[in-house]
Amino acid sequence: MTEISLLWITLPFMVGFLIYLLPQAARYLALAVGIGSTIYSLLPLLSDFTLNLKLLDQFGVTLLVDDLSGYFILTNAVVTIAVILYCWATSKTAFFYTQLILLHGSVNAAFACADLISLYVALEVISVAAFLLIAYSRTNRSIWVGLRYLFISNTAMLFYLIGAVLVYQHSHTFAFTGIQGAPIEAIALIFMALLTKGGIFVSGLWLPLTHSESESPVSALLSGAVVKTGIFPLVRLALMFPEIDPLVRWFGVGTAILGVSYAMFEKDTKRMLAFHTVSQLGFVLAAPEVGGFYALTHGLVKSALFLMAGSLPSRSFKQLKQQPIATPLWIALAIASFSISGFPLLSGFGAKVLTMKNLLPWQVIGMNIAALGTAISFAKFIFLPRGGSEPRLKASFWPPMLVLLGGLVLANVIYYEAYTWANTVKPLLTIALGWGIYYLIIQRVSIKLPRMFEQFEQLIGMMSLVLVGIITFLLRGILV
Amino acid sequence: MLEGLILGTVMLGFFGIIWKRNLMMKIIAMDVMSTGVVAYYVLVSTHSGLFTPILDRTKQHDYADPVPQAVILTAIVIGLSVQSLMLVGVMKLAKDNPTLETDAIERSNTP
Repeated sequence: MTEISLLWITLPFMVGFLIYLLPQAARYLALAVGIGSTIYSLLPLLSDFTLNLKLLDQFGVTLLVDDLSGYFILTNAVVTIAVILYCWATSKTAFFYTQLILLHGSVNAAFACADLISLYVALEVISVAAFLLIAYSRTNRSIWVGLRYLFISNTAMLFYLIGAVLVYQHSHTFAFTGIQGAPIEAIALIFMALLTKGGIFVSGLWLPLTHSESESPVSALLSGAVVKTGIFPLVRLALMFPEIDPLVRWFGVGTAILGVSYAMFEKDTKRMLAFHTVSQLGFVLAAPEVGGFYALTHGLVKSALFLMAGSLPSRSFKQLKQQPIATPLWIALAIASFSISGFPLLSGFGAKVLTMKNLLPWQVIGMNIAALGTAISFAKFIFLPRGGSEPRLKASFWPPMLVLLGGLVLANVIYYEAYTWANTVKPLLTIALGWGIYYLIIQRVSIKLPRMFEQFEQLIGMMSLVLVGIITFLLRGILV
Repeated sequence: MLEGLILGTVMLGFFGIIWKRNLMMKIIAMDVMSTGVVAYYVLVSTHSGLFTPILDRTKQHDYADPVPQAVILTAIVIGLSVQSLMLVGVMKLAKDNPTLETDAIERSNTP
């Protein structure tokens, strides 16, 4: 099994360069990598296979694949397949597929590694590949958005490196286990970087612009899989160390509410989806034990929504209200919106029930407010007028939808115990209440939330604030 | 003392990223910051000794720790590639924004 795992990690990188040599086969090669990863991710999920690999004593690379990584890897694989299918009929060059597969490989690596330095390398390769994908169209705006992303993530990773060496100084290993008892500032630096990379809370406010201004397939990939590389180590660390768990849960609740309150008032479809990603990542962090399943359902539904948003005739909700959209597209939009609001029969329901069950008492109110906010935000899509003739959907629109929405239905089996009366009634009430609030209040008001915090300098400066915040939190834990 | 100087370099770089208005200067500030980080790794590896970690069986030395050095080599290479990628991006942007004022670029490229 070890050989297969190593082959699976290196395969995307080899294929990535092979695509350059065989540009005609680009799409097929890329698709094969995606399918390979899907099969591999099912190993830890369906059997009791776990890989725990240590190369070269305590200094070297440590790999850990268990069912938590399995969920994240599956998310990445399915989202990649859907994006490749979406781009199938477009004239994307081999360069695009090369970057796509390198990105896929490095995201996989981030989900499989269990030491700080492999994680650093994976995250940096992700930054580079994501930058090239964001800037694929070579317009000034796309270059600026990509540059901003690269700048913020690279600055965060420099802080991460300082944190990593402090951990090494303390325990003479870079493995995650070495964080045990490491100095507070080391944990704070590493956390701040991962929170920034993962788009969490105030340090994650770079995400809306980046995800909304990229091309739809790239946004789908970024929101569906790539941001989760920052979340995954946080979840992993929270599960390993009980003293870190409360910190992760706090950030989970904070970002869930922050993201959704922006999403509710957003007037632009893609920005709304991006802010909503910020909020959903909070759900993953709020209950780390079951974060994997939530990440899977969110990845599927959010990439589907971004691909659909790319096919809508306009990005502004105001204009979409004036002109009815084609009914098939509306149905697809409604299915995805229902899933994300937690409607039964789709796996978003199971994921929400499972997360809500694993919350600590003090989290419950906050997360219910966030769930209500989700229902309100997605009422905007559900209440769009339908029956029009625009847009004419291309044939290539449906295969990725089939993969993603079919995945949502299939993933129901993971937590079928959720289907009890008590569990079913609560989401329905939440959704009904959310729609009511949308119809009576949100639809009529027009509030423009400030965008000041999304400015470049603010984002960089925010890092120092978050750093101080985490240190205060950890110190408080020691003093009490 | 050395530690303080190194962290000072990191902070100088960090504040340079925030306060310098020219995009090019911001990138240079980031480079200053990463120089500080590299120096910190080198400093940490000298805690066990100063000798170059090449094994000499005839004498007993206090060797420097090779692990942080090896690790930071990787980080230097990554830093170099990220930096060059950014400079390419800046070259492209400079065609339409010759002054490279970050505020102006941001204003014209934010919806």
